[in-house]
Amino acid sequence: MKRRRFLKYFAVTGALGMPRLAGAAAPFRLGLTPVFLDNDAIVIDRLRSLVSAAMGEPVELIQRRTYQEITAMLLDGSVDAAWICGYPFLQHRERLALIGVPQWRGRPLYQSYLIARPDDPATGLGDFAGSTHAFSDPDSNSGYLVTASDLARAGRSVESFFGRTIFTYGHRNVVRSVAGGLTRSGSVDGYVWESLSQGEPDLTRNTRVVGKSEWMGFPPFAARSDRAGAPDVRRFEGFLKTLHESEAGRDVLGLLYLDRIVDGDVALFGSIAQRMADLTGQR
Amino acid sequence: MKGAWRAWPVTVRVAFATGAMMILLGLIASQQVLSTLSTLQNERLREVAQSHVDALSVALGPFVLHRDVWEVYDVLDRAQEASAGARILFTAVSDDRGRVLASTDPSRAPIDMEIESLFQDAASVRDVVAGTSGNIVRIREPLFIQGREVGAVLTELDVSDLVTQRRNTSLALLAANTLATLVLGLAGYLVVARLLEPVELLTRHMGALGGTPQPIPDRDIPKSDSALAQLLRKFNDMIGAIEARTEAERRLAERERFVSLGRLSSSLAHEINNPLGGLLNATDTLRTYPDRPEVVRDAGDILDRGLNHLRDVTQAILDENRRDRSDRPLGRADFDDLKLLFEPETKRQSQALDWHINGSDADFSAWPSAPIRQIALNLLLNASSAAGQGGNVGCVVGIDGDTICLTVTDGGPGLSQQAEDRLLSTTPLEPGGGVGLRLVRDLVAELGGEIAVARANAQTSISVRCTAREADA
Repeated sequence: MKRRRFLKYFAVTGALGMPRLAGAAAPFRLGLTPVFLDNDAIVIDRLRSLVSAAMGEPVELIQRRTYQEITAMLLDGSVDAAWICGYPFLQHRERLALIGVPQWRGRPLYQSYLIARPDDPATGLGDFAGSTHAFSDPDSNSGYLVTASDLARAGRSVESFFGRTIFTYGHRNVVRSVAGGLTRSGSVDGYVWESLSQGEPDLTRNTRVVGKSEWMGFPPFAARSDRAGAPDVRRFEGFLKTLHESEAGRDVLGLLYLDRIVDGDVALFGSIAQRMADLTGQR
Repeated sequence: MKGAWRAWPVTVRVAFATGAMMILLGLIASQQVLSTLSTLQNERLREVAQSHVDALSVALGPFVLHRDVWEVYDVLDRAQEASAGARILFTAVSDDRGRVLASTDPSRAPIDMEIESLFQDAASVRDVVAGTSGNIVRIREPLFIQGREVGAVLTELDVSDLVTQRRNTSLALLAANTLATLVLGLAGYLVVARLLEPVELLTRHMGALGGTPQPIPDRDIPKSDSALAQLLRKFNDMIGAIEARTEAERRLAERERFVSLGRLSSSLAHEINNPLGGLLNATDTLRTYPDRPEVVRDAGDILDRGLNHLRDVTQAILDENRRDRSDRPLGRADFDDLKLLFEPETKRQSQALDWHINGSDADFSAWPSAPIRQIALNLLLNASSAAGQGGNVGCVVGIDGDTICLTVTDGGPGLSQQAEDRLLSTTPLEPGGGVGLRLVRDLVAELGGEIAVARANAQTSISVRCTAREADA
């Protein structure tokens, strides 16, 4: 008797209640490239809470190991928007739209750092010939493109210049790789290195910045062009632009060591486009 | 050394033996404990090593298969951080070509280094033993994925705690065993000393140093009714019994001389009584015929002969009993005395006496008088007794080189088994029997002589042969 009544109730709620519940619970899906957040569950969890609180609706933060995976998810609609690197943004420029660029230390720009152990006598990229080198991701501007294009400009390739290269799929991992002595040098996001030097000084203390690139467009927030006008994307864009205005928003920005999110301009990524061209030209 | 050990008091020997056994026991027990500890430690170490290698195999397998340097390093690095301060000191992982993919210490094992150079002294997990080569053990294990060997892992484990534990255990065992040995050795000494107190007492009073056994004073005997106390009391009883027996034997030997004479007393009484009638007649004749010189002379002669005879008889008896004659040499006169004493006995029993003494005083002087007389008298009395009424008794004494031969014969039925035992052996005397033959045996033994018994032609013959005393030989 009880079982029959339970099944009847379940059938009613299942038929009427579930679609409504499912619709109400569908969160905004934001893809994250492994910038410096990788492997830090506490930061991710805190970021999710803060973003959800700031947006006033549930936000699902989606991470994958590689830039390529997140970019693919953005392109196939598995995520509504993503914080990606300028390099993949330019790679898929036609299909992606900028919805905001973070402003760091007053400008929406950042650099790529070439790092080594503090006791390494190297003074520039040329001193690392034949040694081991850590890249972040093959689709990372600061973590690959800058060094690869520098070598291309010098007429060398990554494979021929370095004795051995590895991809760590995370800027923080590049720092760990160099600090731990696994590789002699590494290409890392300058923003990540600076942020780590504040948040995890013990880690960056075992590295030294050997060289810095020119200032380039900060990794932007992007959405698929055909969905850029969708209400949830527009709402998210608006949320980003006003993030610095709320207490919760400032907490988010503070966690990420960012000032605010500003309107994006493709011109910011000109030098990255140039590097892409130099690298492609070599190939 | 062996003699010195035996010379030590038994209490000290027991204490030392206890200590030695404790040391031996301690060594064996310690060896067992250390062996068990070592086994447990090795098992524990193998478990740790095996779980470490297993975890690495699971975590690293796919990355090693794909030679993903960073992921291998990432796993090792995070595992190292997670186990900071724990047993695992260093781990390196190689691919199937033997090249290092990553290690927890890239400065020591950089990427692409030949891992073989790190494998010195490395053992597989099942062979790993803690503490044989310092505080670090090195383990080498292949990495398998689905049965395929994709690489190898080398790991160094810190076993200093196990080594320290083993050393501390060894020291603790050593200290405990030493203490236990000392305590138990001392306790053993005290307990055994107390237990063996009565035995020591007994040993002292038994005359361990060659003295005669002495009774143990009552105050030294434990008051308890223990077996040892009973033993001590029994010992005292035995000492008393021995003393009593010795005294009895002494008195018996002393009396034997009188016994011999006692047995002759009736004959000797006759020997004295018979002349008395003649002597009294002579004195009566003297009173009756004092004025007849020839009668007085004859009576005087009779008195003289009778009194001389009495003097000889009493002199022989006195000689037989004189104590201080032991050193006097034997002479023919001794045999004359014997005949004087013994002959009346044969007459009383109407026995024929065959008496031959072959030798001079000089011949006999090599032997003492007293024991030979005693031997001869006892044998003669025994022969006379055996021969019976109207029988025959013989006595022949001669010199054969440096040996005196005394043979006493009789026509009796021969010696009984008991009599022969008394004469020829040291078996205890049966009650009721005489002691004469046993005395003969003892005296002959003292003189170093021999006794032989023979039976031929209805004659029993007992021969005694004694060589001359050494002093005179």
